[in-house]
Amino acid sequence: MVRPKMPPQIFRLVLLTLAIVVTYIIARYLLTPASFRQYGFYRGEALAEHASHTPVFAGRKACLECHEDIQAKLFKGEHKTIGCETCHGVGKEHADNPDVKLVKIGDNGCLRCHEASPSRPAWLKQINPKNHYREDKCVSCHVPHQPNEVP
Amino acid sequence: MKHFVSRRNMLATVGGAIAGLVSLVAARTARGAVKKILVATNAPQDYDPHQHKWLMCFDVDKCIGCGLCVDACKTENHVPQGPTYFRTWIERYLIRKPQPGSGVTRGEVIVDSPNGGRDGFPPPTVPREEILKSFFVPKLCNLCERSPCTQVCPVGATFDAPDGAVLVDPNYCIGCGFCIQACPYGCRFLNPETKTAEKCTLCYHRITRGLKPACVEICPTEARIFGDVKHPVENDPIQAFIQKNKVFSLKPHLGTDPRTLYANLDKEVR
Repeated sequence: MVRPKMPPQIFRLVLLTLAIVVTYIIARYLLTPASFRQYGFYRGEALAEHASHTPVFAGRKACLECHEDIQAKLFKGEHKTIGCETCHGVGKEHADNPDVKLVKIGDNGCLRCHEASPSRPAWLKQINPKNHYREDKCVSCHVPHQPNEVP
Repeated sequence: MKHFVSRRNMLATVGGAIAGLVSLVAARTARGAVKKILVATNAPQDYDPHQHKWLMCFDVDKCIGCGLCVDACKTENHVPQGPTYFRTWIERYLIRKPQPGSGVTRGEVIVDSPNGGRDGFPPPTVPREEILKSFFVPKLCNLCERSPCTQVCPVGATFDAPDGAVLVDPNYCIGCGFCIQACPYGCRFLNPETKTAEKCTLCYHRITRGLKPACVEICPTEARIFGDVKHPVENDPIQAFIQKNKVFSLKPHLGTDPRTLYANLDKEVR
């Protein structure tokens, strides 16, 4: 019995198909990022890249390392929820090197929160700057760290 | 036509092809390794995204509209200056009193957000007697469990991380803007410098180091509460918040299942 011979055109087609499949597999292997599917259908390295940025704000815990006395006072009063950097500005450089001084707060810093507005909730103490004492600075009558006390 | 390939030529071609392939694979592996070292120097090593599930909560009654969070976000994340680029912003809702005899409970609703609320809010244009009520609503990425933005990305550059953050891979983003249109909350924008989509990353570089996101850190009234629901700490503020308050999400009818929850939300807020 004679085995049927594969026609040459079919043989060429089989070769071509194989070549395409192999090229696809190689290309896919080379083009897929190394960390693909580490967490899901995306590049896992992207998470580490997002995490590698340097924080700008130091955070309350960093301030607590040296200024525990001020925070102990602050935690008694109504301003206890306010973070240090809310009023004092970015403190990362100062936290890393205490010789670098923080930027001074402007005199109108209090008004950012305490200026009267109909949109503000009623529990917040608000003033109208036009009919509140304006000859002096806020701090000559109020203590920001102990808002309930009078100097 | 006579086809003839000598054994020497054949071996040289096949050998060359194999050598080329091997060197390509080696180069790719080496590049991956170098990149990993470069990235690993700065990123925190002990952070496993599977071990966390972040949740952001807002107490609308506590927001005083100072806009310090917006400013802090821009400083922390180097967000481009300009009035349309925000990863978080504050909206002021102003509801007028209804016309007498109109039979409705409330009048026109005016929403504004001048410069995202970054410089605070100017006095409202509506006189105080005509205001039924007014309040501020802080907004940011809603951290959807079923996020529309990640579904439309044609190159898979945006994704839901296992810890709940929805992130953009800036190396693969082509800046087509589909995700910006898909987000029902308007939380994305196209960065004019990098020409890639950008959004709140929950300050991923901070939360992986055990810090709070910048907006939460700066908020003076604790209107923003942030925490890990997978590993609650003792006296966890987020657990207390959810126990105490009735919480809502924005646009629940869209089925996006957001993981930013609002307490004391008004029905007009969209």
